[in-house]
Amino acid sequence: MTPGAATDPAAAPAQQPAPPAQPAPPAETGSSDLRAPLYVAWQVTNECNLACLHCIEESGPGKAFRDELSEREAFAVLEQLMDSEVPYLSFSGGEPMVHPRFFEMAQYVCERDGQLKIETNGHYLTPESCGRLAKLGVKAVQVSMDGASRETFNRMRVRGDFDLAVAGIRRLHEAGVPVEINYSPTKFNVHEIAAAVDLAHELGAYSFYTGRTMYTGNAVKTWHLLTPSEDQYGAYFATLHEKTEEYRGRMRVYFHEMGLLEELRFRLQHPAALLIVLPNGLVKLINALPFVCGDFRRDSLSEIWANFQRGWQDPRVRCFIEELATDSHKTASLHQWVYL
Amino acid sequence: MKLAKYTKFREEKFGGVLFETRSEKVYSLNPTAAAVVREIAPGVDEQQVVERLKARFRDADSALEREALTFLADLRQKGLLED
Repeated sequence: MTPGAATDPAAAPAQQPAPPAQPAPPAETGSSDLRAPLYVAWQVTNECNLACLHCIEESGPGKAFRDELSEREAFAVLEQLMDSEVPYLSFSGGEPMVHPRFFEMAQYVCERDGQLKIETNGHYLTPESCGRLAKLGVKAVQVSMDGASRETFNRMRVRGDFDLAVAGIRRLHEAGVPVEINYSPTKFNVHEIAAAVDLAHELGAYSFYTGRTMYTGNAVKTWHLLTPSEDQYGAYFATLHEKTEEYRGRMRVYFHEMGLLEELRFRLQHPAALLIVLPNGLVKLINALPFVCGDFRRDSLSEIWANFQRGWQDPRVRCFIEELATDSHKTASLHQWVYL
Repeated sequence: MKLAKYTKFREEKFGGVLFETRSEKVYSLNPTAAAVVREIAPGVDEQQVVERLKARFRDADSALEREALTFLADLRQKGLLED
């Protein structure tokens, strides 16, 4: 009956129903005990209509990988994930909605009772596409809204259009699709955080998420334009604490104050039950590290999952994380993959 | 009753997991808790779940019934169960 016994069959008498453990993120469930991941975050393409200053994937127009999965390969991956009862998937990119088979892939997941989140920049949320997403029953659409004004949003999201994204969010809400908002802080948009949370609520979002912007991808080249000072971050998170209380029960405001190093040290001890799938089928240990633990073109999900568990024990991973303590710029090379 | 819209159940060697995908909270279940969740189905109420469990497990002192009802109430209170 103790929550801690919940993952140990031997500890629980066979005839006593036990309550679930206290809520814990996948990391605390003990991912090595699970037969498959609980969550697969799939970057379905690296192509994007925007060229955001901070994009961790270095996506943009013409930035699709030359070796992205074919339609047949993509559906073979989806089939494996659904056969293995992976309950939760997200499609991101790049911009997932520019993938030529985006809606068919979403339909496949939803029809097989998977829960699907779409992570989009919000520029393709036409009335028709919002209606299709509603009809499919996607779990949520997460829209990146890095500003409460067109000045800051359009500065961050090169080629982006604040008004188009906001209109798309409104259409999602009107169509009955649950909306999440994601916000990346920079030195030129941190002052708008209160207004952004208010706007998210006004637009009908049920959730608002933010954390520190990462030094990787496009941000490596634009860091001097982006990185907020610690004082700015302090004020930013203080506002978010206030907004969390203000919107409690109406909209979930949540954020991670933790820096990347602390986060990775935690993950080293508690790997999340999460696989990151790249557009070419490679699977990363975690987005913030360069390590690759599988290849869907070559490996089965169970092989990748086993290698994922071994990967977190690999001394190269521990060493990389510890070196971050003295060289925070190591994340600049996240796209130079290291095969485990 | 049924699992809430955003709650997914998966069987595991140790029992099972409930994953509430909106909050991204995971609940680990031991084998007997998983057995309770397996009996949850549309049109089945709490008492019927207990009856089904009692048909499969001994429950001389009614501990099973009490624990199952408490567990189901806990799931409902956490928003993991709905009618």
